[in-house]
Amino acid sequence: MIESAGPGFWAVARRPRWIGALLLALAIAAGFSALGQWQLARSVASAPVARADTETPIALTSLTTPGEAVTGAQLGRVVTVEGTLVDHDFVVLSNRLNAGSSGFWLVGHVLADGGGELAVALGWAPTRAQAVAAEDSAKIASPLIGRYLPSEAPDQPDVSKGVQSAASIPALINQWAQFDGSVYGGYVVASTPASGLEAIDSPAPSQEVSLNWLNIFYAAEWAIFAGFAIYLWYRLVKDVVEKEGEPVERRMDA
Amino acid sequence: MTAAPRPADVPRVRNVLRVFRVSAIVTGVFLLLLCAMMVLRYGFLVDIELNGPYGFLALTPRSRITGVDLSTAILIVHGWLYVVYLGCDFLLWRFVRFSFGRFLFFALGGIVPFLSFYFEFRIPAYVASRLEQAEARTPVGAAA
Repeated sequence: MIESAGPGFWAVARRPRWIGALLLALAIAAGFSALGQWQLARSVASAPVARADTETPIALTSLTTPGEAVTGAQLGRVVTVEGTLVDHDFVVLSNRLNAGSSGFWLVGHVLADGGGELAVALGWAPTRAQAVAAEDSAKIASPLIGRYLPSEAPDQPDVSKGVQSAASIPALINQWAQFDGSVYGGYVVASTPASGLEAIDSPAPSQEVSLNWLNIFYAAEWAIFAGFAIYLWYRLVKDVVEKEGEPVERRMDA
Repeated sequence: MTAAPRPADVPRVRNVLRVFRVSAIVTGVFLLLLCAMMVLRYGFLVDIELNGPYGFLALTPRSRITGVDLSTAILIVHGWLYVVYLGCDFLLWRFVRFSFGRFLFFALGGIVPFLSFYFEFRIPAYVASRLEQAEARTPVGAAA
C-alpha cells in the first residue's frame, strides 16, 4: 500500500476473499436464523403427548398393563376394553359434577380379558337412589369404549366426613368384593352410559398451545448469533483496513 | 500477519484474563458433567434427578422425573458458561489482536473435554508473550 491512509473499508470488502467471507457469514447467519425459526416453532408446540391423537380408540391392553401408573401419553386416551362386569360390585361416588350439576357416579368393577381389573365409571345420576337403581341392569358393551383417566387422590377422611367422592383406584380396590391384586392404574369413563344413567361429560385432553419461554429465549439467542456472524465479517475486514493503514505495521511489512 | 495490540488495551487484557481463567475451569468442569450426562441420557436412557421420589440424587428415565432434572440443568448451565467463555475469547481476540483462526481454536475449549484446563494456563502465557513482543516493537514505531 503506497497511500498513507491505507485502503478504505469498502476497498478491502470488495476483494474476492472478503466477498467470499461475506457469503460464508451470510450462510452461517442463515443457518442460525433457521435454528431460531426451529426454536420458535418448538416454543409454540405443546408437549408432543398433548398433540397426539387421543380420540381414536385403541385397546387398553396395547396402551398399558395392570399395575402401571398412568403416564402423560396415556392420559385421556379413548380405549376399548374387552371384559366382564363383576355383579354386585359397585361403588357410588358423590359430588361428581356433570355439566355443572352435582350428582353421583356409578363405578363398576370390570375383569378385563387377559387379566387385570379395571374401574369403570358407568354413568352419572342426579341422585344417589338413581345411581344405585342402575346397578341391577348395568351392562357393559363389548368392547367397552371409554376414556382412560388417572386415579384421583383418595378423599381426605377429615375433610370428606365419610362422603366418598374421589375416583381413587387404591380406595376402590379396598371396597371391591373380590380382587386378585392386579389392577390398572387408571379408570375408564364409559362413553355410553349404563341404562338409567347419563353419560359422564369427559372432554378430550386440553390441546392448548402453551408458550415455552426457554425455546423463545433460545430463538432470540440464535438471532443474536446470526447478527454476530455478520458483525465478525465486518470486524475482520476492519482489522485488515486498520492493519494496512497503521504506520507501525506498514513500516514492519516494508 | 496480525497487527500488534494497542497499548490502551493492555490493562483491559489483564481483567479479561482473570475472568477467562475462572471461566475456563468452570466451563471445563461443566463440560465433563455434560459428557457424563450425555452418556447417561443417550447410552443408559436416564437423567440425573435431584430430590425426586427415588432419593436425593437418582438416575431416572426422563418421562418419570418429578424432581429437578439435573441433566437438563447441566445442559443449560454449560451453554451459558460457554457463552461467557466465548465472550472472554472474543475480547482477548479483539484486545490482543491474534489471528481469527486462533480465536476459533481457543473457542474449542468449551467443546473438547479437558482442553479448557490446558488453555487455562496456556492462553495467559501466550497472551503475555504477545504483549511482550508488542512492547519490544513499540520503540521502533515510536522512534520513527
